Amino acid sequence: MAKEQMMTGCRAAAEGAKAAEVEVICSYPIRPYTAIMMELSKMVANGELNAEFVHGEGEHAQVSVVLGACASGARAFTGSSGVGVTYAMEVYSPMAGGRYPAQMSIADRTLDPPGDFGSEHTDAMSTRDQGWLLGWACSPQEVYDNTLIAYRVGEDHRVMLPQMVCQDGYFISHIPDKVTLGDQSQVKEFLPPYRPIGPLSTTHPVSHGPQIRPDQGAPMDAMRAQTFLAVPKVIEEATADFNRIFGRNYDPFVEQYKLEDAEIAFFIQGAHANTCRSSVDRLRSQGVKAGMARLRWVRPWPTHQLANALGHVKAVGVIETSTSYGGAMRGGNLIHELRASLYDLDERPLVTSFMGGLGGETIWPKDFDYMAKVLLQAVKEKKIRTYVQWLGM
Amino acid sequence: MAKELPGYGTINVPKDREVPFGAVTPAPVCTQDLFQTSNWRMKRPVKEDEKCTRCLVCYMSCPDACWEYKEAEDEMYWIANFCKGCQICIQECPTGALTAAPELDFPDGVVRLEKPF
Ligand code: SF4
Ligand code: SF4
Repeated sequence: MAKEQMMTGCRAAAEGAKAAEVEVICSYPIRPYTAIMMELSKMVANGELNAEFVHGEGEHAQVSVVLGACASGARAFTGSSGVGVTYAMEVYSPMAGGRYPAQMSIADRTLDPPGDFGSEHTDAMSTRDQGWLLGWACSPQEVYDNTLIAYRVGEDHRVMLPQMVCQDGYFISHIPDKVTLGDQSQVKEFLPPYRPIGPLSTTHPVSHGPQIRPDQGAPMDAMRAQTFLAVPKVIEEATADFNRIFGRNYDPFVEQYKLEDAEIAFFIQGAHANTCRSSVDRLRSQGVKAGMARLRWVRPWPTHQLANALGHVKAVGVIETSTSYGGAMRGGNLIHELRASLYDLDERPLVTSFMGGLGGETIWPKDFDYMAKVLLQAVKEKKIRTYVQWLGM
Repeated sequence: MAKELPGYGTINVPKDREVPFGAVTPAPVCTQDLFQTSNWRMKRPVKEDEKCTRCLVCYMSCPDACWEYKEAEDEMYWIANFCKGCQICIQECPTGALTAAPELDFPDGVVRLEKPF
């Protein structure tokens, strides 16, 4: 049985890729995700992992290389951070449209200008409409676990989609925490080998990525949308299997912390959920019925699961960690989708949002106390005063 | 939660509009009939055979492989379903055998866009 070790999120992502026995890796350096590639290159150099390690000339090339690798039938792995994620933007839609289930491991970083090393989710959140599976981990352990879960879901023949496995830069990527790695028999039981559909072949030649006519575009889009209708069930199955085999306890879509009797709740994804959880405990010790819903997948968005988890709460505070300048609520994007998810309930919670953890800032316990105060005031007044507030501004 | 929420609905792509999964198709020996690319062409090359010396410059310069030399007939053959009308062959033809004809000008009245041929 594998034992607990201390490791960073970057090392955990590399360990996940190694456990998945990835066959092609394409790197290009950018902080903070680079450490994933440093770990993997060591593993390849030491002969612990038998993979083709390609150094791309940029992030666009990285995603293109894994596209080609996937097309030829290899399990492929790449990753990036910040502007690296956005530089590869052109290739995301072809990856998803061509149904190449490669994985991209993201350690979030604020977008330019100017260069800010801190974590912020805007980089990967900007790709959410490109047809990838997308979700955030909140610990190095979850990074390792999500790496395996995402491959299993993405490579399922009902899905065949690329995945972005995200972790907050520095908070998760560079702070060591306890991680239990699976042993090879567990990984083998959980993750079958990648079986490509119509791979490039010298004996059965195929065409990939052809030009299509405009009248073929709509069915192509519809078939991709249809796939997303099938994904939730695959995620549920994969999570249940993962929990059983590895002895974990993940909710497939939404971690629900002390929500059953909650009056106010925080809605959050990623690293700051850890401070949020302890803040919920502190608030509860002061008599405030607080709870937390933590999103594990942004795509597919768990509409009904969120309505179920949060429908009974009186007020929800969305903690954004990413920007949507000029958007409907003038803050981030999570509030738009959460409000839409709750809209059809007969009685729905009041929903406001807080811009926090931007540019790599910490969201402190006192910030959660402040947010709780705003939410309690909304409950009392039966209305929210603003759609969004910038913490500390 | 008491109330039944709306679902995501279903999507049924009509059989005759289905596109191959991931747009992956068996590689064609010559042309890929599942995905044709000619319906945004505005002009097409028209050949005056008497001027054509079979030099194959058009064959080499076409980015979409739309010129073929038919050995038996000793003739340059134009592949209509994939010519995008870029007119490179017309520019490159050393004998002036190729000219650009507006697409709607077909003698049999094929109308562009309404139905890709
Ligand atoms: S017009 Fe362009 S695409 Fe058409 S045959 Fe000539 S070179 Fe090829
Ligand atoms: S380039 Fe002109 S002359 Fe040469 S083969 Fe083509 S049509 Fe004939």
